[in-house]
Parts: sequence; structure tokens; C-alpha cells
Amino acid sequence: MKAVILAAGEGKRLRPFTYSEPKVMIPVANRSIMDYVVRSLVCNKITEIVMVVGYRKERIMSYFGDGDGFGAEITYVNQDKQLGNGHAVLAASEHIDGDFMILPGDSLIDARSVADLQSIGAGHGALVIESDMPAKYGVAILERNRISDILDRRGEGASNIVLAGAYKLPASFFDTLEICVEGGDYNLSHALKLYVQDIKIEPVFCQGLWIDAVYPWDLIEVNHAALANTPVQTAGTIETGVLIHGKVSIGKGTTIRAGTTLYGPIAIGLGCDIGPNVSIFSSTSIGDNVTIDPFSVIRNSVIMSDCSIGSHSMLSQSVLGYGVKVRSHLMASSADAFVNLEEEFYRVPNIGTLVGEDCSMGSGVSIEPGTIIGPKSRIMSGSKVSRNVPTGAIHS
Amino acid sequence: MEARYRGTSRQGQFIAERTWFHLCGIVGFTGEREAQEIVLDCLKRLEYRGYDSAGIAMISDGALTLKKSVGEISALESQIERMPGLTGIAHTRWATHGKPTTANAHPFTDCKGEYALVHNGILTNYMELKEQLIKRGHKFTSETDSEVLVHMLEEVAGADLKSKVLAVLKLVEGSYAIAVVQKGHDEIVAARNESPLIVGVGHDENFIASDVTAILKHTNEVIYLLDREAVRITPKGVELFDLNGVAFERDPKKVSWNLEDAEKSGYAHFMLKEIFEQPRAIHESLLGRLEGQEDDAFFKEQFTSIKILGCGTSYHAGLVGKYIIEELSRIPTNAQISSEYRYSPVTEAKPLVVCISQSGETADTLAAAREAKKRGCKTIAITNVLGSAITREADFVIYTRAGPEIGVAATKTFVTQLIALYLLGLRLGTIKNTISSERRREIVSEMRALPRIVQSVLNDAGKIEDFAKKYKCAQSMFFIGRHMNYPTSLEGALKTKEISYIHGEGYPAGELKHGPLALLSKDTPVVAICAADHTYEKMLGNVREVTARESPVLAIGVEGNQDLEKYAEDVFLVPKVDPLFSPIPIIVALQLFAYYLAIARGCPIDKPRNIAKTVTVE
Repeated sequence: MKAVILAAGEGKRLRPFTYSEPKVMIPVANRSIMDYVVRSLVCNKITEIVMVVGYRKERIMSYFGDGDGFGAEITYVNQDKQLGNGHAVLAASEHIDGDFMILPGDSLIDARSVADLQSIGAGHGALVIESDMPAKYGVAILERNRISDILDRRGEGASNIVLAGAYKLPASFFDTLEICVEGGDYNLSHALKLYVQDIKIEPVFCQGLWIDAVYPWDLIEVNHAALANTPVQTAGTIETGVLIHGKVSIGKGTTIRAGTTLYGPIAIGLGCDIGPNVSIFSSTSIGDNVTIDPFSVIRNSVIMSDCSIGSHSMLSQSVLGYGVKVRSHLMASSADAFVNLEEEFYRVPNIGTLVGEDCSMGSGVSIEPGTIIGPKSRIMSGSKVSRNVPTGAIHS
Repeated sequence: MEARYRGTSRQGQFIAERTWFHLCGIVGFTGEREAQEIVLDCLKRLEYRGYDSAGIAMISDGALTLKKSVGEISALESQIERMPGLTGIAHTRWATHGKPTTANAHPFTDCKGEYALVHNGILTNYMELKEQLIKRGHKFTSETDSEVLVHMLEEVAGADLKSKVLAVLKLVEGSYAIAVVQKGHDEIVAARNESPLIVGVGHDENFIASDVTAILKHTNEVIYLLDREAVRITPKGVELFDLNGVAFERDPKKVSWNLEDAEKSGYAHFMLKEIFEQPRAIHESLLGRLEGQEDDAFFKEQFTSIKILGCGTSYHAGLVGKYIIEELSRIPTNAQISSEYRYSPVTEAKPLVVCISQSGETADTLAAAREAKKRGCKTIAITNVLGSAITREADFVIYTRAGPEIGVAATKTFVTQLIALYLLGLRLGTIKNTISSERRREIVSEMRALPRIVQSVLNDAGKIEDFAKKYKCAQSMFFIGRHMNYPTSLEGALKTKEISYIHGEGYPAGELKHGPLALLSKDTPVVAICAADHTYEKMLGNVREVTARESPVLAIGVEGNQDLEKYAEDVFLVPKVDPLFSPIPIIVALQLFAYYLAIARGCPIDKPRNIAKTVTVE
């Protein structure tokens, strides 16, 4: 069986972390989200993969290549205009004959969920989940063991069973899809809605892991889940007097200096320089080429590659994009907060700060919980930031 | 040689120069699969080594079939039908002796059609050999030096192909990498002297090729052959021996380059892909090298002066290296073009000689490294290719970990060569104690920031594309800079020449008034590199000087110098870096500029006319 992974979209809602990278390439536990999807497929012996790419496709293609490094054979299909996920699936049709799977490239999905979907044998199915989250792929109405209808959003009295975006379908689905797309409806779930009227699609309740990063703060949870399954590999130089508890992986060329304490699960990438006397707590991912200076404390955060964090900084429940530079004494603690995302307010429990790539901060910056700081912005020394900072802005 | 070209006309000069560029690629396969497709696929990956004609020879059931064509390998592919056989050799040619015609394309066969041979290199005594062979009745079909080898095979004594090839090689002088097949035998005999050749070890199949990229799709187990060594491969085995026929063993090395690295990954051209790979290449080159490397025995010696040698882009890296090393270690340093080094007199003090070659096979730089050794100098090689010829000549090797570079115009290898020079300067400076520990810390943290800084420039590629569209009609263009960015301007000009065919001229900004101002007009754009260092004010003066002649100016500046907009028509700002590192973001901007100029002018980017990637003759 072949699998189609949808990876063409930008993931606008995940800004500021999709400024220069597609959503599927955002790192959690130091691997891109789609990396987990591909590995889950390969675990289930599904090695022929068609990736529909578009936004910043070069990033994806450089990462996965022809799939050899993953034990897969990857074919790329270019979706020039990201019209919708139905349009994207249709673009892959020429590479598909027989039953196939569709998976979103931007959700963390484990091998178990793929196995469950695969195990319905000759039948066809859709992965569903009970969730109060917004229904990105539609709400499923069930009738005995089949999906009888699909709604766009949860109406009155409707179920809380939503589609997870993963399907096992026969090739005949393309006929329905083509009619929809030619009619100008590019939404995959609309085509499915028509399709389930005639063909039996079973609901497959997700028993494994399935987490969709819809909002930027979801990355903290996705990272936590991913770290739980990250194998431990230790390389680099670990000086005497470093304390390591739990699962900690440390990459080649990294130096962990004396007096540093690491409470796993933690993943640290290549060529980092951490310490002396730094404390890092679970569940934290640190990318490649990151420096963390003495007396800093990091908790449950994602720090992407090329960041540098000056001494005496405190970072909790936060995400730093690529290349964020912090001089020293950054205060980014966490609390329950209202987060302003594109002028809509969301109540988020225990959230720190979300910093876009290449932001640079002076010394002694203090950031209110739940603040989003745009890419390439500059925060002057001694600033107190209590409101979102736009892309490229200077905050003093 | 000198006499031959003296007094030639302009046309003659051009031809003479062209023969200095030389490079070919050879591949061979024997195994249990149909060889044709595999051989052609491998050959395509060597196209960057030359692409004016190509050919293939196949062995099947006692028959030897041959096909050649002029032009790129795809031209050959489209002309041939299926050629059966499990053993084949092929060649992509860059003309040196004889024009690029089908007759001159390899492989060559002898008069009876018993043997087929491919050759990369130049035989210096081929004229006399050829005359003798013609006297004895051999019919030559080409004007090449290579064909003599295959006719000699008919004449020499020997029980098998291996002993015949060895007998022939005893009689020839010059450089070669050859591969030979014989009708009815599923085996290939290959040998090298001063031209690159590797053996790829597979399961029930084996390969020979000019370089690793050719065979990576099939195997990453590689045996590097040294000069005057030969090999016989069959589907089941690899026998290594020297030119006297004495067998020896050498373990294969695992090559970590993936094939995906050698493909385009969705970018329009290899060059663009390689430009965008620079953050990663810098990161790889720095990995584990930023500290604790000073205790190597090689650096115990006190060097009183340094000489950096290289050709083309590598020479430009050397010119920047001069500033880097002098700044960091205060050791007097000079850069020289490899081919000129031998003419410089032997000095009393023996400089440390740093030889830079991307491929590690550049003939001029190899010869210079040997010359330096002869003069008793210690040598360091900076190269991108593991186990390449130059690594065997040098006392110490610094690898640039750029990964394979396919685009003919060097991009990521230039930047990683600079990284290697920064690391060398840092090392020498630490040993000589010419940089304070605080400055060292600053430099290390600046170097760590470089991948991101380059990434920022790349994120702004769209702006550079717009500038390129505006300047695409220029016939010639000046690139000016001062201090460290004078060599950057030379490199920017070279990139522009190489791929966009605009005559780009790099110049020290202070020299404009001593001549070139006469060439400026409103049709001659000037790219002015205005780094944020002690040259900035002077550069502004030069920009005014140029705008006064109505030349449009594209100023490359550094964030924070927004006032540039008052002086120049177009301004592109790179992120702020320590002035010591300014050439890195600036050259990335100029690489993109050259690339988009070439796109706007419709030039073939990855294979510019008349130039080849690795130049393996002097």
C-alpha cells in the first residue's frame, strides 16, 4: 500500500514558527514533525510514500531526499497553489493504484495509529478521535460501524468525534474527489462527505498517539509527547560534575560543562555549548549549535537551532525559534494567560513566551507569560514586554 | 609550450587557453545486472567534469558494442537503443587533444575491435608512439592521445588483459586514469597516475569511477587508488596491484555522502541548492572544532610566514585568508596563484604553505604542494574531498565539510574554505597568544552565529532577484571593495563572469581613480561593498565618485548603515556581523546576485560554457 502525506501548506496559524519553514518541518525533540509520520509508516512496512509539497518545498526535499535514509521510497508531487487538501490529494493520484493512505504531515502520529488504520484489512476507514478541539478535518456522524456523514463543524447535538485527517481509501475515491475539485470545492472532507454516502468507511478510533499542533503553544505539548519516545544517545563531551537524571540524549560535538543538571527527558542536538552551572528540566528540546551560559534555568521548552541564551536567564514553557539571541537575565516565566493570536484571544494554561526566529534581546528583558514575539524583532535591554511584538519591530 | 603559443593571434590564444582546461569522467561497471542503464546513470553524475562528448562500450556474449555522440550525456542516451551486457565502460569528455567530435569521443577500440578503452589525462609521449604504431599499420580513427593506448594493447605480450595493460603502461608517460574491457571477458582493468580514480565495492558487482558521486547510488564502499596503482574488477572481486603486477590489499572506506546530497532537492539548479546549503555546510565545518584543538604536534613549530596557494575561487579564499590570519595571528601572510608559485624564488625562511583545492585534485595546486615540499616547507591542505590526492601530499589536512558540490561555480566550498581559514587563524592566534581570551570568546560566538546570518541573507533572496532583473542588460559590471572585502569583490565578479557571462571586474575601491573610472558610464553598474568597518567612510567616498559618473550603484551594506540609501540607488543590507566575518554574508549576497543575473539572462547555470569543475591538468 502507498501513502500520501500532505505537506504543501504553510501553517499560517502556527506563526511565528512558520516564518521561513513549512509547518511540517518544525522540530519537536529535534526531528521535524513529518519525520515522525514517515517513520510511523515505515514501521508498518508502508515504504512507498508520495509527498505533496508546495510552500518551501526545498526544505522538505533536502531533509527527506529520496527517502533512502528513512527506509522509504519518496516521490514528490508539487502543488503550486495551495488551494486545499482535496486538491493536494488529487495531485498525487497519478502515483496511486489500489488502496492508499492519506496522512497529514503536520500531526504527530505514532506507528500504532497507522497500524490500527491498516488493520481494517480489505475495508476502508478514517482515523477518528474524541476531542473537544476545533474540528480541523470535520466532525464524523457514526451509524453502527460506518461513517454516515461528515459535518464542517460541531452543530447542535452532533458528536464530539472528529476526523484526525488520516484515511485508508480505495483508488475509486479519486473519481469523487475529481468531481468536487473540478466543481471548485477543494476541501477533502467535502469530497469524503459525498463518498461516504455510497461507500462504507469505518471509523477507526485512535488508540495510539495523535497530536495536531494547531496553535503555536501546542508545540510544547507535541514536544513533550515526542520526547517520551526519543531514544537515548549520548555523544559529545560531558565534563565531570554534570548530573543527568532520566532520558537525556546529547549530540555529537556538544559540550556540557561542570555543574550542569539535566532532568530528562531532554534532547540536545549537535555542537551545543551548555554551562557551566545550567539547569535544564523536562521536557526540553534543544537544537543544534545552541549556547546556554551559566546559571540559566530552562523548563519544558523548545529551543531551536542556533539560539544563544546568556547567563542568568529563566525560560519556562516557552518556544524559541531558530537563531534567537538573548544577552543575559531574560525572565520568561509561565502562568495561565490569555494569548492574542491575530487579534483573537485564547485562554492558555501555564504558558511562557513564544519567540520567532532571529529575534535578538538585550540584557534584563522581562516577558509576560503568553506573549508572542515576532521573527527578526529586537528587544532592547531592560525592556518589559507585556504585549505581542510584530515581525521586525524594535521594542524598547 | 611557451614557444608554441608565442605570437599567436587572438584566436590562437583562445584555443591555447582552452586546452589548459581539461577534465573528463570515466565509469565502469561489471556485475549481474544489465550494465547499460547503470553505467549511463553513473556517467550523468560526472557530467560536471566535462560534457562536450560522451560514449559507452558494452561487453556481451563475446561481442563488443560501442556508441558515442557529441554533446551532453542525454544526447548519447537518446541515440542508443538497448545494448545488452553485464559489463560496460563509459566516458564523458572535455576536449584537450582534438575537437569535440564523435570520432574523438571515447571509448576507443583497437583495429580488430577486441578491446575498448577510456582515458582521462594527457599522455606526453603519445606523438612518437602514434608514429610508430602508424608505421606498423595501425589505423587511427581519432586525433586524440588516448587512442594510442588501445592500439598498443594489440602489440604487447601478455597472458591476460591485466598483464597486457600493465605492459602498455610501462611504455607511456603522462597522466592517466584508464579503464579497459576485452571482448568475451566480464572484467575491467583500470589504473591511475595523476588523474583521479576510485573503486566502488558492491554486492556481486563492482565499479570504477573518476569520483565518488558517480557510484553513490549503488554503493558507499570505496577504495581510493593512488598514483601508479591498478585494479582488476569482476562481478565477484576486486584485485589491487601496482604497475609491476604485485598484488596488495586495501580496505574499502565508507563514504558518508548520500545520493540525496548529490541531487537537486527541488531547487531549480545545483548552484542554488548549494547556495542554500551554506548554513548547514558552515555548521558542519564548525562542529567540534571551536575549541581544544591547539595541542596538535604540527602546530608546535613557530611559523614566521605563511603562503596560501590556490586557483580561481580557492585563490580568492586565500586572499581573504591573508587578512584573517594576519589579523588573528599577526604572522605575515600572502596568497599566490598555484600555477605561479613555482616561478617564485626559494626564500631563506621557509613559509608554512597552505594549499586550497575543493577537489583536492587540482593539478596546479597539487604541483605547487609538491614544489613546496621539495623546498622543505611544511604544508597544510584545505580540501573538500576525503582521501583526495592533495591529502597525501600535505603534512596536515583541514577538511571543509561542505558535501559534494556539483554546480561548476563554487559557492558552499568557498564559504567553508573561509571557515577553515578562520579556524586556522584562530588556532595560530591562540598558540601565539595574539588574541585575548575575551576576543577569542567573541570570535567563537560570532562564528556560531554565522549559519543563521547566512540564513537571513538567503531569506532575502527575493530582493536580490529584483536587483538582478534590473541589471541584467549590463555588458560589464564593476565590483569594488576595500580591505577584506576587496577579495570578496573579486569573487563576486568571478561568479558573475562564470555563470551570467557578464564581464565582471573586481577592483580595490581605492584604485578606481587610477584608471577604471574611464570605463564607467550609465551602462556600467557598480556593486559597492560597504562593510561596517574602518573602510566605511572611504567606501562612501567611492560610491559618490561612481555616482558622479552616472553609473548605477548597488551597495551591499550591513544592517545599521541605513544612510547608504542616500548615496546609492539600490541598497541591500546583510545582518550585522563582526567586521572580521563580513565577507561571509556579503559573498552569499553576491552569489545570489550572480545566480539571478544568469537566470534573468537565460544562461545555463550548472554548466557554463568552456569551464569545468575540477581542472586536472596544469
